[in-house]
Amino acid sequence: MDFWREIFMALGRNKLRTFLTGFAISWGIFILIVLLAAGNGIMNGIGEQFSDQSTNTYMIYGGETSKPYKGHGTNRSIMFNDKDIRFLETEVKEVDQVSPRIYQSGFANFGDKSGSIFVQGVRPVFKDINNTKILEGRFISELDEKSSEKFIVIDDNLRKKLFDDGVPALGQFVIVSGIAYKVIGICESEGRSDGGNGYVPFSTLKKITRQSRYWMLNFTVNGLETKEQNEAFTEYLRTQLGRLHEFDPDDHSAIWVHSTQEEYLQTMKIFRTFELFIWIIGFAMLISGIVGVSNIMRITVKERTNEIGIRKALGAKSRSILASIVTESLLITSIFGYIGMWLGMVVAEVAGSFLGDAQLGGEVSLHIVPSIDIRIVLMATALLIVCGVLAGFFPARNAVKIKPIEAMNYR
Amino acid sequence: MIRLKEINKTYFGAQPLHVLKGIDLQVNEGEMVSIMGASGSGKSTLLNILGILDNYDSGDYYLNGKLVKDLSENEAADMRNRTIGFIFQSFNLIPFKTAMENVALPLYYQNVSRKKRNELAMEYLERFGLKEWADHYPNELSGGQKQRVSMARALVTQPKVILADEPTGALDSKTSAEVMQILREVNQSGITMVIVTHEKGIALRTNKIIHLKDGVIENIEINNPDSIDFSKEIK
Repeated sequence: MDFWREIFMALGRNKLRTFLTGFAISWGIFILIVLLAAGNGIMNGIGEQFSDQSTNTYMIYGGETSKPYKGHGTNRSIMFNDKDIRFLETEVKEVDQVSPRIYQSGFANFGDKSGSIFVQGVRPVFKDINNTKILEGRFISELDEKSSEKFIVIDDNLRKKLFDDGVPALGQFVIVSGIAYKVIGICESEGRSDGGNGYVPFSTLKKITRQSRYWMLNFTVNGLETKEQNEAFTEYLRTQLGRLHEFDPDDHSAIWVHSTQEEYLQTMKIFRTFELFIWIIGFAMLISGIVGVSNIMRITVKERTNEIGIRKALGAKSRSILASIVTESLLITSIFGYIGMWLGMVVAEVAGSFLGDAQLGGEVSLHIVPSIDIRIVLMATALLIVCGVLAGFFPARNAVKIKPIEAMNYR
Repeated sequence: MIRLKEINKTYFGAQPLHVLKGIDLQVNEGEMVSIMGASGSGKSTLLNILGILDNYDSGDYYLNGKLVKDLSENEAADMRNRTIGFIFQSFNLIPFKTAMENVALPLYYQNVSRKKRNELAMEYLERFGLKEWADHYPNELSGGQKQRVSMARALVTQPKVILADEPTGALDSKTSAEVMQILREVNQSGITMVIVTHEKGIALRTNKIIHLKDGVIENIEINNPDSIDFSKEIK
């Protein structure tokens, strides 16, 4: 169409202007995206550090009493039992799901291969509490727990010891202390120890080892949002369990209460502050992008005032001039905006694959994966484009309004 | 062709400036007139009103039998496009368009097809001896060539009236003479021509010289260019 031919010709003949305008827009969007991605990367890194512990879990384990209480002497060891589990599950409204932990150490055998194993009997919720990552197969299910299946989830360390490469582990039976367990899942190894970990249903291991006293209970909680609430809840636990086990609630060595929630809240505070910081920077970048883009559009239109005057004298209608200027700026901002967006995402991706683990000195490493929320990217790009076009539109509208003779003599 | 009745124009600034004070003027079809006056006499304002580039406060302006008053912007644009051809002192060519594209531009606003536009543009360029320069940009052309391009642009729509604002103001005397010769030929083909100038030599090549002073017509001088020997310098 003739209209488009005119537009492309005008853009093509004014290469420098087109390029400079386009570059300003590309650059604005590029920087914005790279910055957002970097910010997100650091956020992801921090998030990952603290996601090892599920965010809302409590862990309590038995200790020894240090204060005499109700006729009991000191140094009495406290362990938990089914009554405690029932109590937590039914009487304490904050408690969501409980997983006791019992364990057995020994050796796991498959054919002529063997490896040391630390087997833990846990309930399905343990996967979330411990943030266990399943590589293959699945974790223990409610059904497994209910019917005390002899199923086992082993970690990758142990799999490597028991199975040659290429031999499928799932569905095989491994012998642990004389009992054959069917392998239903492979999970990621924790830490760097050589020993293998295995998880079996709590009810299964309980039957096999005939344990009725448990050293440790894990559970998830709901509705504890502040430090005060957590402290009060800890006190409540000590009082209630002290009542059941007859120990002094103030005897802090009788049971140990460890809450990841407290740490979590603290991290969240840092996290949120950082998030806010990123947003402020991103917002500032967006603003400066808008200012830059708008400015260049404004100058571009000012520069064309003469041309507008000439066209009007030759019989161009204001509407047609305005239409071509707006179309031109829309075309430039969209195309170059898209390029900038694309480049920004490529750089973020490439940086992500190169950065990987950033060492923060010593043992602490932060896994930085720059990532971008495509919706935010699209919204920011759209906003820049809209602002760019508007910034071109208003001076253009003013320019077509003034008398042709003044426009021609402009400057 | 052009009839002005009691045209008044005041510019309202810090100090209101009454530029045109009741101008009455008639230019017949096929006439070649010049408007002369010192700077500040209102001659450019008058030309802008004639060209519908500016509006007037009171009076009546008939162009080609039609009253030009309170026109909408679109009507004014159409009228400029179809009835009037402009020639400017500073040429006012669009720098990023070639000579041919500049000449073809007014036709674009008449929705003439591209092929037809370019054909017509080439025809007019050829008439002004610029065929070889059709693909050149304005900055590659001499002053005289630029003015010939702008004349081709003014004529390509076959207007009724050509309005020229100091058409030779930016040209040397030899080129000025050439340009004036072309304008005379154009006029002889039947197109009405109004030239604003402050150069006596230019005015003497028109049939009627309108002297403007302080916003009023001082006198109208009937002139016969054929009786003047232009072999001498015109400036």
